[in-house]
Amino acid sequence: MHWSQVSILYRRELRSALRERTIVVNGILIPIFMYPIMLWAMFTGMTFVQGINEGFVSRVAVETPPAAVHSALLDSLRARDDVELLGLAQGGAGESDGAPGASESPGADWLQALAEGDIDATVSFRPLNGDALPENFAVDVQYDRAEERSRRAEFRIRDIVSDYRTDWLASEAESRELNEADRTVFAVKVENVSTSEDIGQLLLSQMLSFFLVVMVALGCFIPSIDTTAGERERSTWETLMTVSASRASIVTAKYLYVATLGIVAGLLNVVAMMVSMGAVVRPLLAGTNDAITFTIPWLAAPVMLAGAIALALLFSAAMMILAAFARSFKDGQAMITPVYWLVFIPILLGNQTDVNLSLGSALIPIGNVTMMIRDAISGVFLWQWIAVTLLFTLTLVALLLLLARQILTFEDFLMGAFDGSFWRFAKEKLFA
Amino acid sequence: MTDPSRPTVSVSDLRKTFYDESRGEVHAVDGVTFDCFPGEVFGLLGANGAGKTTTLRMLSTILKPTGGSATVMGHDIAQEPEAVRKSLGFYSASTALYPRLTARETIDFFTRINGFPKELVDARVADLVDRFGISEYENGRVDKLSSGMKQKVSIARTVAHDPPVLIFDEPTVGLDVMNALEMVKVVRELKAEGKTILYSSHIMSEVEKLCDRIGILHRGRLLALGTLGQLRDATGRHYLEDVFLDYVKVAEGIAGDAEIGPMGELEGGKVEGAPIP
Repeated sequence: MHWSQVSILYRRELRSALRERTIVVNGILIPIFMYPIMLWAMFTGMTFVQGINEGFVSRVAVETPPAAVHSALLDSLRARDDVELLGLAQGGAGESDGAPGASESPGADWLQALAEGDIDATVSFRPLNGDALPENFAVDVQYDRAEERSRRAEFRIRDIVSDYRTDWLASEAESRELNEADRTVFAVKVENVSTSEDIGQLLLSQMLSFFLVVMVALGCFIPSIDTTAGERERSTWETLMTVSASRASIVTAKYLYVATLGIVAGLLNVVAMMVSMGAVVRPLLAGTNDAITFTIPWLAAPVMLAGAIALALLFSAAMMILAAFARSFKDGQAMITPVYWLVFIPILLGNQTDVNLSLGSALIPIGNVTMMIRDAISGVFLWQWIAVTLLFTLTLVALLLLLARQILTFEDFLMGAFDGSFWRFAKEKLFA
Repeated sequence: MTDPSRPTVSVSDLRKTFYDESRGEVHAVDGVTFDCFPGEVFGLLGANGAGKTTTLRMLSTILKPTGGSATVMGHDIAQEPEAVRKSLGFYSASTALYPRLTARETIDFFTRINGFPKELVDARVADLVDRFGISEYENGRVDKLSSGMKQKVSIARTVAHDPPVLIFDEPTVGLDVMNALEMVKVVRELKAEGKTILYSSHIMSEVEKLCDRIGILHRGRLLALGTLGQLRDATGRHYLEDVFLDYVKVAEGIAGDAEIGPMGELEGGKVEGAPIP
């Protein structure tokens, strides 16, 4: 193999690729622009929807009003701009205003109105008649969980009643000379000790590890088909077979080209996501209580790079082996797409579990690299398992390259036999 | 300088057997032997499926022979495939160009990849662009060129590294009359430069016009080999088409007692009037 020939072939592949719209869009433009646009659209959309929902006035029918002693609760409900009470006379507690709820069987009418979306919830105040707290009562709320407006109405009622209950219990306790410690039973106090950096790293570790791996795979996807099945389809395969470069040089150049685009796609994606987090997400979160700082440890950068390179080498080899049998670009896509989706299983396994990288998980292909990157972004560097992960991945790469080398010895493969199917080749030649 | 008396291409008992699920073993090339010399256009004449392309693919090392041997410029096709490919240029209807490269980039790529001296590449590319009249569209992408323009770029890329041996496998298939004539003209020019040219075709008139010697291939076997005059003498026929048909009929056993002699001569029977299956 002559590296000067590999270099000439490699540059030819890259030049051709950069003039192919599909490759440029998938390998460069999507990784760069997808996240800023996606995150901006997501946050803007969420804010917009939230604004719309908060702007809704909840229409609440009071089927049975509370006892007069709890008139303050009704006042609280009335005082809310976002709640409109129906079926209640202006007089207040204990009276009805003759609206639908005032009919002979008011409950049924309100229920129908709720089902038809004319109101958002019904509320009934029911005395509990306990001895210790004779004025205690229960609140029955009916709402439609399938409707956002209705869910919001239920939440608002619960919120108002909860506040009222706290105040009422406090005043009752005071009249019975009970202090706060006496009246608060098995209190749970929750305190979040994570810093804004910790939360940022958690989010980044999950998002970056997932998207980096997916984007490396996506970056390899089209080029691996274009440089193999695409060559056959365009009838340039035979042309290439007649140049004086060795088969090994040709395949090496193609392999390095596909891996390069995979790495570029992955790294562009990471950079774009980091920039998006800083430039899009942080300003949007600035107005909320969710203080998040997006930083990653410097040491994570080489780990991510190593992971991206190892995965690009793995994906390139696997995808090229499959696509090399296809006779057309379309066949190549059909052959690789199921494998591409299968890749998501180990990615999710590595991304979503709480376990850190270990000897066992370092032997799960793809999932191990996902986990390694996730841990590194979170500031966890288990160097021995990182080494095992990379070694294991590179061993798989070596095995695939050996398989590719064996495949190249089959002339039928070079001439496009086996019905364009790797599986048929495997059946006839490898497992026969 | 190549010695004109020494063969540039030497083929000896070359064989290629394919396995086909429905037909079993298929002897695509069955013991073919011939030599080619500098400044010679050697024609391989045969019907579709006769074994022309398989023979030429073996010579260009795309396929490996099942038996026999061959050398190109002294390099064994099985042992030194890269050296063989460096010594030859291969042109066929199935060797397309990279659509996303420009005409100049295409010629430049094939010049470099075939090991032309680096320092001379630019001059060589400029020379080829000029020679084949490509300058007007040298910076145009190949996929935007007309078929005639593509043909010129294709020829330029075939000869880019100035190989002593050139293979033209059915080069005029799919070309219009003008482009086919242009191809014939180019082949003549290359012959005049002393190149060895292997030219396969099933178009008799082309072979008649171009080839110094002709080998008639049928079902993988070389039935006859000689100059057009020798083949005419052997068969008593004037037109190459008749010569070709006579040999095929004998080979198929539909020409009475006639046999093909060791020198390609037809003996022992009258071929004329034999039924064509």
